[in-house]
Amino acid sequence: MELFFQTLLNGLLQSGLYALVASGLALAVGVVGIVNFAHGEFLMIGAFLAWALSTFLGVDPLVSLPFAALAVFGVGALTYRVSIRHVLLAPELNQMLLTFGLGILLQNLALIWLGGNTRTVTTPYQGSSLSLGELSVGGPKAVAFGLAVLILVALYGVLYRTTLGRQMRAVAQNRRGSQLIGIDVDRVYLLAFGLSCALAAVAGVLVATLLFASPTVGLVFALKAFAIIVMAGLGNLTGVLWASVVLGVSEALVQTYVPGGGGWSDAVFFLLIFVTLVYRSYRGAR
Amino acid sequence: MEGRALDGSRAVVRRPDVPLRSLLPLGLFFLLALAFPFLPLGERAEYLMQIAFFTLVAGVLALSWDILARSGQVSLAHAAFYGLGAYGFALLGKVMPWFLAMPAAALLAGLISLVLGAVTMRLSGMYFAIATLAFTEVVRTIIQNLPEGAAGGANGLLVPALLGGNARAQYFLAFGILLLTALVSLAIRRSRLHHAFAAIRQGEETARVLGVSVVKYKLLAFFISSVLAALGGVLYAGKTFFINPLETFSLANSIAPLTTSIFGGLYTTLGPILGATVLRVAEEVLHNAIKNGYLVVYGLVLMLSILWLPRGLMGLLRRGKRGGDV
Amino acid sequence: MTVMAASSQLPAASQRDVVLWAEGLSKRFGGLLAVQNVSFSQYDGEILAVIGPNGAGKTTLLNLLSGVYRPSSGRLHLLGRDVTAEPMEARCHAGLGRAFQIVRPFPEMTVHENVTVGALFGKPGVSLAQARERAYDLLERTGLAAHADKEAHELTLLQDKRLEVARALATGPRVLLLDEVMAGLRPGEAQEAVELVRSVRDSGVSVLFIEHIMPVVRDLADRVVVMDQGQVIAEGTYHEVTANPQVVAAYLGTEEGLHA
Ligand SMILES: Nc1ncnc2c1ncn2[C@@H]1O[C@H](COP(=O)(O)OP(=O)(O)O)[C@@H](O)[C@H]1O
Ligand SMILES: [Mg+2]
Repeated sequence: MELFFQTLLNGLLQSGLYALVASGLALAVGVVGIVNFAHGEFLMIGAFLAWALSTFLGVDPLVSLPFAALAVFGVGALTYRVSIRHVLLAPELNQMLLTFGLGILLQNLALIWLGGNTRTVTTPYQGSSLSLGELSVGGPKAVAFGLAVLILVALYGVLYRTTLGRQMRAVAQNRRGSQLIGIDVDRVYLLAFGLSCALAAVAGVLVATLLFASPTVGLVFALKAFAIIVMAGLGNLTGVLWASVVLGVSEALVQTYVPGGGGWSDAVFFLLIFVTLVYRSYRGAR
Repeated sequence: MEGRALDGSRAVVRRPDVPLRSLLPLGLFFLLALAFPFLPLGERAEYLMQIAFFTLVAGVLALSWDILARSGQVSLAHAAFYGLGAYGFALLGKVMPWFLAMPAAALLAGLISLVLGAVTMRLSGMYFAIATLAFTEVVRTIIQNLPEGAAGGANGLLVPALLGGNARAQYFLAFGILLLTALVSLAIRRSRLHHAFAAIRQGEETARVLGVSVVKYKLLAFFISSVLAALGGVLYAGKTFFINPLETFSLANSIAPLTTSIFGGLYTTLGPILGATVLRVAEEVLHNAIKNGYLVVYGLVLMLSILWLPRGLMGLLRRGKRGGDV
Repeated sequence: MTVMAASSQLPAASQRDVVLWAEGLSKRFGGLLAVQNVSFSQYDGEILAVIGPNGAGKTTLLNLLSGVYRPSSGRLHLLGRDVTAEPMEARCHAGLGRAFQIVRPFPEMTVHENVTVGALFGKPGVSLAQARERAYDLLERTGLAAHADKEAHELTLLQDKRLEVARALATGPRVLLLDEVMAGLRPGEAQEAVELVRSVRDSGVSVLFIEHIMPVVRDLADRVVVMDQGQVIAEGTYHEVTANPQVVAAYLGTEEGLHA
């Protein structure tokens, strides 16, 4: 029974990170209408920033977090300006392939520059752990979860309580209508896309403390984020939170209870994406 | 009453479907490719022959991907069928001669593609892309996690060398497979399949209302494309002697044909072949200069093509000309 | 003048063959019953108009007939065969052609190729060469001959509408469904379109058309079915339905009015 609760807890903690990545992606999809296949690469940039700042300047990742967010916001906004903006009216296929190309580009630039090795970030609280009654939690995990929750609360605060947030949600619901009532849609897109990338970067900083930074670290998180927003239903921001918990917990359960879980859990996860998509396509029809 | 023009305009000019002269550049490519091994290649002949071999394979992969894309199915599962061809050949090659193992492996991949095609029938755009990507990963992890005795597991498999490892013979085999792929592509272009694929791609529901049996043609596209991709996989496996899941089913093997076709010119026969030639050589040059990240060309080329070269190299070649996309 | 109730009996009124028989068709979108228990039959060689205010459910009805939607309940018979469960392409093969209200040309094909698709797949066993010839004939017949080699996205709206009709005709239908193909046409153009529909009927095709332009309905329709809020509220000749107080009331609630 204890093992069961420990598993649930681990899954829940993991889901904070997932929700962070997925909310960012949902923002790009929902507001800008772009499925950003390079989302994982923005996460990767965040992870490397945390690693670089910690390794070369000795800055704790938790301190570098806002800087990474800001820097990647800028990269995202720039990306929007020079590329995304030009395909907003193009066929969906072109949009998809453009961000896909961007992802490959960023990943391979990182490979060229930094090589394929994984880089770990050491923090003083690395080995620490918290105990909650019978259960225990790794310190970095708990911190990452706390931060993720904080940032998500802030994000939803912005979306539901500020003018910019209302504009974003208005644009998400009706592009043309928003234009008519005087919303500067291009600006909203720029900010939403930048914010989406910044969220990925924040997740990246956390990933660097929990796992490592590497050029390919983003892909699997991006895919999980995609699975989450498909489960939640495109553009459904609150659904993202629930779907993240479902994914995080079910992964933890597979890893704990399925024999040889490690190797097969990837297959289970991809099968889950596959089945979710196919199931939705049949349920959604007529 | 047939032929009564309401606007009293002149009778329509009836043109042939595909003008033959548009085949000229394609013929030229194959002549050059045929002549290549006989050129004085100097001391680097072995290396150049190898690059040329893999260029032909890249052409097979790209053109077969394009055939599927013509039906509106932009797939990231090409690596899966390439890989299934490679693994099928590695395993079947142990129990039968290569010239049987080759078509058998291709057929196997084709049959599996029918399953994937049937299941993803109603998905489109990014959903289809992600589902096919997920499928590839499922296939890869299954092969990786099967007991080593079955398919080599994560460590990989030894493959019987194709044609006793004779580089020239292997080259001509690859040439033959690319020629076959091109002929299939041209045959499609001149048949009802072309019209079915194009209609489905440009408006699936409208196509159905006009009587196009979408299920049949989508599956047919999947089957043809995967069989050809698997033949490419056989060439790869037979040339490299040794295959492992990570490299064989690598996402790069799905990205390369996609980028190549877009760069060369979608929905054409010459475009993907031309694109493969240019990109494969660029990749090789870069690979010699830097070890890691040489795939950066694919990312860059993909972005630039989408932004500035929507019809690819073929668009440059036939600027201002209309129709006859061969 | 009676409003037809849902019945499972073929109306015995006519000895002529019924080509299309809708039997209590309904379609629900979430909480909205867009089409509600609609029954009617169309006779061979008849031109049948479906009219009604915007949002009455006319396009949805056409989507049920051509198989784009599956009905929530009800049955559909085409040329004496129950096609309720059959997909769009099977209905096309069985003899149902359709032109969409919002034109849907294949944008990257030439005009001729667009029509060739209809001719090639509309009926089984047509060769590509035959289909291409037939497509050229249809382009001449619909006044698009001069535009055969243009790509479809280069056409004007009027030409797009003609293409829509030409492509549907190319499938060789016994029953042709037209959704507001005359909307936005100038009077002269509308007259041409009326001529075209007549010539189509004279070649043995029954036509069911949705139309807002009342003079066109008056000139063309043998019989008129009036829909409002998803239901058939009247059925009869043009003069019968326009004299029906229920129909007048349905139109009064809208800006369009019944005159035009
Ligand atoms: N796919 C759909 N989903 C939800 N509601 C729909 C859909 N299609 C049509 N409707 C609704 O059904 C009603 C009838 O629409 P429609 O058949 O297009 O009317 P008409 O063609 O008579 O103007 C309208 O209220 C419309 O909003
Ligand atoms: Mg309508």
